[in-house]
Amino acid sequence: MRTAANLSNGEKARITSVDLRHPSARRILEIGFTPGQEIELLNKSFFNDPLAFAVRGTIIAIRKDEAKSIIVE
Amino acid sequence: MKSSQPVVILIGAPNSGKTTLFNHLSGKNFKTVNYPGSTIEYHTSGFQSQFNIDAILLDSPGIISVIPNSPDEEVTINSLFEHPSFGKPDLIITTADASQLSRHLLLVKQLIECGFKVVVAITMNDILKDKSLAIDAEALGKLLTVRAVKINAKTGEGISELLEAVKSSLQEPAKEIKKEVCERWNDSENLIKTFSEIEEIENKVLRPLNPSQEQLEKANKELSSLILQEDENKILPESKTLKIDNFLLHPFWGLVIFFFVMALTFASIFWLALPLMNLVDYVFAFLNHAVIRELGHTWFSDFIAFGVIDGVGAVSIFVPQIIILFLILGFLEDTGYLARGAMLIDKPLSKIGLNGRSFVPMLSGFACAVPAILAARTIPNRRERLLTIFVIPLMSCSARLPVYVLLLSFLTPPDYYWLAGLGLAAIYVISILSSLLIAAIIKRFNNKIIKAKDDSSFILELPTYKFPKLSIVFHNAMISAKAYLSRAGLVILSISVILWFLTYFPDYNPNIPNINKASEEYFQLANSERIENSFAAMIGKVIEPVMKPLGMDWRIGLSLVPTFAAREVFVSSLALIFKVTAKDNQLQVSLISAMRNAKIAGSNEPLFTASKVVGLIVFFIFALQCMSTIAVSKQETGGWRIPLLQLFIYSTLAYALAFITIHGLQLFGIP
Ligand SMILES: Nc1nc2c(ncn2[C@@H]2O[C@H](COP(=O)(O)OP(=O)(O)O)[C@@H](O)[C@H]2O)c(=O)[nH]1
Ligand SMILES: [Mg+2]
Repeated sequence: MRTAANLSNGEKARITSVDLRHPSARRILEIGFTPGQEIELLNKSFFNDPLAFAVRGTIIAIRKDEAKSIIVE
Repeated sequence: MKSSQPVVILIGAPNSGKTTLFNHLSGKNFKTVNYPGSTIEYHTSGFQSQFNIDAILLDSPGIISVIPNSPDEEVTINSLFEHPSFGKPDLIITTADASQLSRHLLLVKQLIECGFKVVVAITMNDILKDKSLAIDAEALGKLLTVRAVKINAKTGEGISELLEAVKSSLQEPAKEIKKEVCERWNDSENLIKTFSEIEEIENKVLRPLNPSQEQLEKANKELSSLILQEDENKILPESKTLKIDNFLLHPFWGLVIFFFVMALTFASIFWLALPLMNLVDYVFAFLNHAVIRELGHTWFSDFIAFGVIDGVGAVSIFVPQIIILFLILGFLEDTGYLARGAMLIDKPLSKIGLNGRSFVPMLSGFACAVPAILAARTIPNRRERLLTIFVIPLMSCSARLPVYVLLLSFLTPPDYYWLAGLGLAAIYVISILSSLLIAAIIKRFNNKIIKAKDDSSFILELPTYKFPKLSIVFHNAMISAKAYLSRAGLVILSISVILWFLTYFPDYNPNIPNINKASEEYFQLANSERIENSFAAMIGKVIEPVMKPLGMDWRIGLSLVPTFAAREVFVSSLALIFKVTAKDNQLQVSLISAMRNAKIAGSNEPLFTASKVVGLIVFFIFALQCMSTIAVSKQETGGWRIPLLQLFIYSTLAYALAFITIHGLQLFGIP
């Protein structure tokens, strides 16, 4: 199963689902990572964590752990 | 209190342009920031009279949903249902960024469905235009069943249409507000459903600016609006920002730049704040001297010179650092860089129980702990927020600077100015390292000291880079400095006056035989005689046993007592107790020579030695000496537990480490 955390810099992917068991799931959805959306990994921080994604016209930084709950095609 | 005036509140996602619109409508000039979630206080105003709307206008901190995620969001959302001073709002103007419409429509849709009366202000249309796209506001309004207007509050475009919409909406009857509907968005499935409705709306209202012939024909054929093809423009933010990020968030260069920016921020304290501080010092020393010279030695001139002028001097001296730090922070905030800093530093901070979102509050702690502790509201996780609040008092705030400068100048020979600079840099590094160390230690004992469940997260929007409007940055730095002065000023001045009283009475007119009453020598003797017998000395002698182990006497002890209310007063209380008259030059220089000459009472041993002065510096690095910090810590943590723990732990630590430093240094032969 591929997640947003597996993407490499500049790679695009479409979200298939979000793992609703993750404690931050609601916020992840609220901020725009919803099924069907296309996202792109833009930058990784020095320690490869957090990651910056393009989603719905903006940049959102989330932790790798949170990116793992975003399942992509 | 619910006045007869209608209440209009601005609600919207962080950085969607609320404050810019607020400023335009109210004619005020409040903070607009580019760090998500930094408006932590509400601003209130009326509409400018030219707009002809008699209503109260409120700005608010950004939220992205009606379900709160952090205390700052909770405050905003609660006030939607019942504002503490204005009751229920009559109308919400909700701002939505055109360039990320689908994200911002979530809140808009939620508010409408909860039953609020809403006018939608679509902002950032210029940014969307750069992507050759535009929004059909009329269509959007129809689909949402409210009024929607495109505006640009920076230029004033669309404002008159917005005002018309506000006026018409205000006249419509209020609907019932259903809180239970709002709560439905706690459910993730409902969120996903709402977003799919929003995507449908977005497809109908987002149009290419110059539709191609082909698209027009297709649209005509299908008799529907111009539906955008899957467009890469839609997911990507502004290209300029992406380019800058490739550099500033570069895995290697990003970190180098981060440390460079931080170093530059602190260096500005030495380059900019210190010279200004010396100037302030010079002015007040001059005034002090002038008063004594003009009015002679009477109780009144003494009160003015040492109680009032030195007290006001103690308040004013760190204003330069406060302003400079707030200027730099405001500038960095407005460019959008601070959010990147928070992202870069999240991983290391999370290792010690903090969060990337602790970065901005901790950084503001170098100006003043009070706004810094308030800024910690943006941290969603309670444990991390409490820990951030816990360590903020260790950040070397501006009030400590004059103390360090005095003590370092005592330690370093006058020709070695750079050495004092190095010492100051070391103090800042120590203060940062010790805060990280203490955070790490507390994390180990976490459940005993800070009780909260652990669901740490870091989700932060990185705003587009903007060049800050310097006039606003400047204006805001002034507001922050003023807020600081009004909070601390009166306390500091009162302490100075009380302390003056305690050092001057009851033996205000000591009898010294056989000396010409007009001579300088007489005044010196009278001064020391008066202090020896003063109320202050009586208090000082009570605390002398605490100071003995540090090799200090009641005079230093007494200078330290008022610093627990506000550490700012240390320099002026030393000056008062050692009765330093500025000799037409800086107070500091005279104070240092008085310190060099001071002897421990009843002996010939110098009172201030290198080891003891270093010990005092260590004391000031750790001690929590600030009433306002304790008060705001109580307010923000919801009880006395954390502030009392802070006071106890930091005071004990300060004393113990000062003791170890002094005796350790003496072991190595340093006097
Ligand atoms: N390009 C553009 N920038 C805007 C517009 N409205 C606001 N801004 C800028 O967006 C940033 C965030 O605005 P602010 O009012 O602080 O947003 P708030 O967080 O919602 O209060 C500031 O730098 C504003 O100058 C607009 O219509 N177009
Ligand atoms: Mg704002």
